[in-house]
Amino acid sequence: MDLSITSLAQIIIACLMVIGLMVANAVVMVYFERKTAGFIQRRPGPYEVGPRGTIQAICDSMKLLGKQLFIPGNVDWLLYFLAPVLAFFPVLLLFLPIPFGKFLTAMSVDEGILLILAFSGLGVISNILAGWSSNNKYGLLGAARAVSQSIAYEIPMIMSLLAVIFLSGSLNLSQIVEEQGSWPWQWNICVQPLAFFIYLVSLVGETNRAPFDLPEAESELTAGFHTEYSGMGFALFFLSEYANMLLVSFVCVTFFLGGWKGPFLDGFWWTFIKAYLIMMFIVWLRWTFPRVRFDQLLNINWKWLLPLSILNLWITAIVVKLL
Amino acid sequence: MFRAIVDNIKGLWSLIVGLSITGRFFFSPVKTVHYPRQVVDPESLASYRGPLELVPADDVGGSKCVSCQMCVRACPGNCLTVIKGKEGKAPETYLYDFTLCCLCAACVESCPTSAIRFSHNVYLTARTREELHMDLLADLKARAAKASQ
Amino acid sequence: MNNLNFINPFSVREDPGSSVGDLYTQNFSRHAKTGTVILNLGPQHPSTHGVLRVIVELEGEYVIRAEPVLGYLHRMHEKMAEVKTPWQFIPNMGRVDYLHPVAWNWAQVGACERLAGLEVPERAEYLRVISCELNRIASHLMWWGAFVMDLGGVTPILYAFEEREKINDILQIITGSRLTISYFRFGGVSADIDERFVRLTREFIPYLRERLKMYKALVTDNVILRRRLEDIGPMGVDICQRYGATGPVLRAAGLPRDVRRDIPYGVYPKLDFAIPAGPSDDCFGRYLVRLFEVETSLNIVEQALNELPDGPVKMDKAPKANWKLPAGETYFAVEGARGQIGVHLVSDGGKTPYRLKLRAPSFCNLSLFAEAAKGVLLADAIAILGSLDLVIPEVDR
Repeated sequence: MDLSITSLAQIIIACLMVIGLMVANAVVMVYFERKTAGFIQRRPGPYEVGPRGTIQAICDSMKLLGKQLFIPGNVDWLLYFLAPVLAFFPVLLLFLPIPFGKFLTAMSVDEGILLILAFSGLGVISNILAGWSSNNKYGLLGAARAVSQSIAYEIPMIMSLLAVIFLSGSLNLSQIVEEQGSWPWQWNICVQPLAFFIYLVSLVGETNRAPFDLPEAESELTAGFHTEYSGMGFALFFLSEYANMLLVSFVCVTFFLGGWKGPFLDGFWWTFIKAYLIMMFIVWLRWTFPRVRFDQLLNINWKWLLPLSILNLWITAIVVKLL
Repeated sequence: MFRAIVDNIKGLWSLIVGLSITGRFFFSPVKTVHYPRQVVDPESLASYRGPLELVPADDVGGSKCVSCQMCVRACPGNCLTVIKGKEGKAPETYLYDFTLCCLCAACVESCPTSAIRFSHNVYLTARTREELHMDLLADLKARAAKASQ
Repeated sequence: MNNLNFINPFSVREDPGSSVGDLYTQNFSRHAKTGTVILNLGPQHPSTHGVLRVIVELEGEYVIRAEPVLGYLHRMHEKMAEVKTPWQFIPNMGRVDYLHPVAWNWAQVGACERLAGLEVPERAEYLRVISCELNRIASHLMWWGAFVMDLGGVTPILYAFEEREKINDILQIITGSRLTISYFRFGGVSADIDERFVRLTREFIPYLRERLKMYKALVTDNVILRRRLEDIGPMGVDICQRYGATGPVLRAAGLPRDVRRDIPYGVYPKLDFAIPAGPSDDCFGRYLVRLFEVETSLNIVEQALNELPDGPVKMDKAPKANWKLPAGETYFAVEGARGQIGVHLVSDGGKTPYRLKLRAPSFCNLSLFAEAAKGVLLADAIAILGSLDLVIPEVDR
């Protein structure tokens, strides 16, 4: 890839657009999540601010921006401030190789999925730093949980994606989409249902969402690693959490659900519709189930998802070799 | 091993059942009463104990109270102050401190003339503590004046 | 910057009896092993339901030692009983346990009645049973929701609130209040039921039975919940009896003890109801026992409504607010939602009782926690704490 002025400009513009997307996504998702929670719990959810509460999320983020930055005593200053920033910026990079549409990719690299998997590991560093630096035992416990959970769930995630990569023979995300057809039965989900299921479970684990929200388990650790963050620091963690959700949903759409392709009128809208359907599913899970315990979370991963994904990988490899 | 697999599949099924339940509730109507736009059915407020009020004896704001101090002595929170008037038995002042009241009905049940009762005012709001120090005689007069209009 | 000693949470404590924290923390950490973390759960922790504080010593995520610290909500109810006439003390009882106020009402009123030898009309006794059992259902539903919320499921509590609101609506008709109810009077109850009460209750019973099926499908059968609760925090009959635990905690351990059956009061001997024992002494057993008790209470309400006799709801010449207790001493116990509520009343014949001792079931049940939580994961400790169904105002009184 040549680093000419045009491609650099393209990346910078894309980064700005991704920041816009992340912020818009967080605002939409906060509203959406609260509304969903409301409807599931048979109450209206946010209603008063704006028509049907639509600008509630914007007002809340304004409130977060305007809040005093409260810093608890004896924090490790540098790391304390670095952690939310570190949570935010890697996610920015991760969006670059995602093919939103056929020609709508910020940076079409051949090893797109490698880039995503490599940089998504950075997110957990911010969790450790946040938990460690804020001089809070709850934060520390949350950070310790975040590390082991994130490491555990990355492996089956990669394994399930590998199965798809075996099929398409490419690490390029656009290429993977191109391999799939327009109709749902031509998508990878029909070829690799087990891989899809494993990915879906590890997606929830990877993004620390309920029922796998152990690092921030509210009833045990108050708020886990971001207990001591308020105002903007908290907002950045929130933003990156939703951005991470969106990212893994995009990857899921690209790998299993045919990316930008749909029964009619291919285009980036299909990517977004499918991604948000997955997000909806994650939100739905959160408001239905109790939380698993930490050892159970690891057991699910190491005893079930990992062997299953390896099995799946073997079968795929054999089938690919034979055909 | 085989047992564990069967258990887990059953477990997954229970999760799907749970999702279907919350999914069904997602599409069913909300149960809450949306306060400023809707109000609770007045029938269910008929027994609600709001702040005390005096029972009107006539149309011009007279009360049945005979200043016997039974309510004052019965009250566990000392929230009532009744001062007997110069002439007759009617009270001169009947002060009621709602901040101290626990709505136990000791006063209502001990009143020999049934001069006080609970109002059903659920929508009472106050911005200051002083607004909850009520003068029940004035309140009674105000209600009588409002009714006569 | 400030005078606080910096405590690096990762660092191994060099001085076990360090001067960090308040008296309780210092005292607790004096016996701590090296390499452990002392963690204060509460008093403002989301899963301690109020202001309970538990100091735990953690090794990794395992609780080595736990110690509840009480008194953050102490309001001197027992002392207040000594400065108020028995009548004036009735509203206090609703504040002791806000989830099952009617049972506390009954305990105090019943003790005074027993001491003074008052006769309660039969209709009033039935109304007492009906209101007490409805309130017990509300209490158990509230516990159900809060317990699942402790385990991370936020939605069920709002479903429980739907039913609880219906019960509140029903109880409001006769009691006038929705939370801190004071319905009982010496020699009867304060108000008779009306046609609307009967109608709403009759509608409510089949409705809740339907909803219980939904609860079962959504929560009880949920594999995540079952694996969180099964075999967690076993509390056998032995430990329960050593610490004086009563109510669902003891019944789940397999001992069918229930004040309603063992020391009968009111019209409970005339009613037919089952007392569950078992199935297991773990958190899931306690969970199932409470859900079973909801059904039992529904049956009791249904029976009591069917057999409700006519008559007055208050005895003639019922005591007034300035009523004096005769001199003497008595004990009266009722079965609350959390266990045996006992009132020990001593009167010297004066205006106010000489002494009123309240036996709060939550207090005794909480004392099991320190022993049951030894060596479990932090998340399990929270589950055990939730399964005890603590109401902190009742613990502290």
